[in-house]
Amino acid sequence: MAFQGSGELEDQLEEPEDTLRVSPAEEMPVDGPPALEEPEPLLLPWDRFSSWLHCICVVGFDLELGQAVEVIYPHHSKLTEKEKTSICYLSFPDSNSGCLGDTQFCFRFRQATGRKSSLGCFLDHFERDAPVSLKRDQGYYYGYVYFRQVRDKSLKRGYFQKSLVLISKLPYVTFFHSLLKLIAPEYFEKQEPCLEAACNDIDRWPTPCPGKILTLPIMGVVMKLRIPTCYDKPGTSQLVQSTPSDSLVSIVLPTVHEVDLFRCFYPVFFHIQMLWELVLLGEALVVMAPSPAESSDTVLALVSCISPLRYCSDFRPYFTIHDSEFKEYTTRTQAPPSVILGVTNPFFAKTLQHWPHIIRIGDMTQAGEMAKQMKVKKLKNLKTLDSKPGVYTAYKPFLNKDEDIIKQLQKGVQQKRPSAAQNAILRRYFLELTQSFIIPLERYVASLMPLQKSISPWKSPPQLRPFNQEEFMKTLEKAGPQLTSRLKGDWIGLYRQFLRCPNFDGWFRNRRKEMMQKLEALHLEALCEEDLQLRIQKHTEVETVDLVLKLKEKLTQAEKDQLPVKTGTLPKLQSHIETIILSLPEDLQGILHKPPSP
Amino acid sequence: MSLRELKVCLLGDTGVGKSSIVWRFVEDSFDPNINPTIGASFMTKTVQYQNELHKFLIWDTAGQERFRALAPMYYRGSAAAIIVYDITKEESFQTLKNWVKELRQHGPPNIVVAIAGNKCDLSDAREVSEKDAKDYADSIHAIFVETSAKNAININEVFIQISQRIPVIDADGSAVKGFKLRRQPSESTRERTCC
Repeated sequence: MAFQGSGELEDQLEEPEDTLRVSPAEEMPVDGPPALEEPEPLLLPWDRFSSWLHCICVVGFDLELGQAVEVIYPHHSKLTEKEKTSICYLSFPDSNSGCLGDTQFCFRFRQATGRKSSLGCFLDHFERDAPVSLKRDQGYYYGYVYFRQVRDKSLKRGYFQKSLVLISKLPYVTFFHSLLKLIAPEYFEKQEPCLEAACNDIDRWPTPCPGKILTLPIMGVVMKLRIPTCYDKPGTSQLVQSTPSDSLVSIVLPTVHEVDLFRCFYPVFFHIQMLWELVLLGEALVVMAPSPAESSDTVLALVSCISPLRYCSDFRPYFTIHDSEFKEYTTRTQAPPSVILGVTNPFFAKTLQHWPHIIRIGDMTQAGEMAKQMKVKKLKNLKTLDSKPGVYTAYKPFLNKDEDIIKQLQKGVQQKRPSAAQNAILRRYFLELTQSFIIPLERYVASLMPLQKSISPWKSPPQLRPFNQEEFMKTLEKAGPQLTSRLKGDWIGLYRQFLRCPNFDGWFRNRRKEMMQKLEALHLEALCEEDLQLRIQKHTEVETVDLVLKLKEKLTQAEKDQLPVKTGTLPKLQSHIETIILSLPEDLQGILHKPPSP
Repeated sequence: MSLRELKVCLLGDTGVGKSSIVWRFVEDSFDPNINPTIGASFMTKTVQYQNELHKFLIWDTAGQERFRALAPMYYRGSAAAIIVYDITKEESFQTLKNWVKELRQHGPPNIVVAIAGNKCDLSDAREVSEKDAKDYADSIHAIFVETSAKNAININEVFIQISQRIPVIDADGSAVKGFKLRRQPSESTRERTCC
């Protein structure tokens, strides 16, 4: 009888899993999407929309209330009051003077706790193949802003000021800015029917599945793009347009997430390599820029310069004094946190005076003004308002300066090389640098994996060996970054510092999870190859029942975690279980033999 | 064989059958209880025309008045517009004339205009005579057909005639307007009589 009890318990435990699945019986509405190239799981209304966006907000200025969220679309979207307040302040420039006309920028804010999307499980599934730095941001939302400020004498304030804001967990900055360029100008002219049409279009899109070429119709134009996968060779995943086309008909986006690194780093050009180190090590960094567009572009460029590594600390492309984390991040009672902030309010020059690394950016539109001063500036020279552009820090880089990349880019400037080409050179440089740094770590961590022969189907999967810092350091003598990079300097010191920072922690957790799943998968495959019939003949009935329950549990877990097993493994295991159950007495069969999931 | 993307929009009063025409053309199906379109819906279909593939990017716009102002997004950049009226509703034919005016004023200069008198299976309730409509279409050099999405009459023909009127691309890649000089388009010969 005890078996029956545990069987029921298992039933109950499995149930929530099933309710998260989308039932194929749910029909699409009749005017659903017929233009999809490949069949996808059928989804409920607004599921497709939710896989791209949380919601769209309109933020306006009310003379009495100040900034206010005027519209949230779709109307059923949920935002807490705190989230709304954040969106309000972050959707407007801090100081309006410099932003006449249309401006685009982005911000990032903490999601209120305790809310979980019912789509989560499904979203995890299609996101499995995304590169780690492009996965949805757990615990945070991005806000992509299109802000318009124009003179309007008919309004009391004399100005029309409004922002259209896309709220999403996806870090596809280039894509969302292109999308806003299509939606926002139409919205400002034509109001809500326009949002209704846009949301309706988005709700027919295919889900943001990495690796496929996606065709996304939106407001009379077709956008084509491809979200990279973790299997792409880094630096090669750009989509190119085969035939020229009319931008009123279709637009091909070469990238969904890459910002123009060269343009962003132009004002602090001589220090790119030092900035790479600061970001890699998760140092507290603040970007002071004249406008939210420049601050957010620069912060995103910084975060992405260590790609394919994911920057694991908090970063705020645009941060204001109203931010709910303002106190937490600016307090002087603790050391500055491991975050990157982008700010525009001059007030921060004083508030963050004690920060170790400060990047000041001038007006980027004056392109002629290339950084002339090569010297890093002393922090004490940072005055409040009129300080010159540059990097203010006392930091001494671990690696020697690479003069070649500076010369190469300088030459490009003199020869008027197109910005896209300069960007490609710089991106490749960062990529090679990061890869040289990470390869020794990858190699060492791979050696922590137990030998294949130590995997026995009748024992728990073997454990990974722990990460031993000194052991790793020893591998650097022979197989360090000197194999792939000609840069000299204190690589050892750089690694020691890195191993203490959140970026290492995030990277290692992820690698360990992948490897443990690989071990689980190998273990499952080994189990499948066993002759289970033979085994149970040698064991008692109780042990056999125990085996069935354990195998079932393993199967459920494997399906849930989507273990990287060989195709056919799971069905094979399922049939093994069925066979064992059939060999048991009938009363036990009734208890154990559940029909496969409906 | 080269592939050309051709943006096509459908315009016309609410309920005249724009979505039904597109569904018949793309899916070859018909649903009498179709929901009103919100904003616009989008579908594609590729057909062969001579030595080219024409991929129609079809924007089926909402006929409801509240979406009226969005129309320019859909006819902007369009190679062709199909303006649909309901032969059993005189009013929808008047709306059609307003759409023609708007396209003349704000639409792309070389847009091919096709007029579709839909629901020709309901001839008992006819309010717009075929001759009046045809005369009007001729006067503006538009393609004209009476269609029935329900009975699959003349639906493909509309798109075939659009393909015929799309300027061919010569070796330099620039469009040549091959049909511009023709006063009387050849559609009348292939038209199936309905009703």
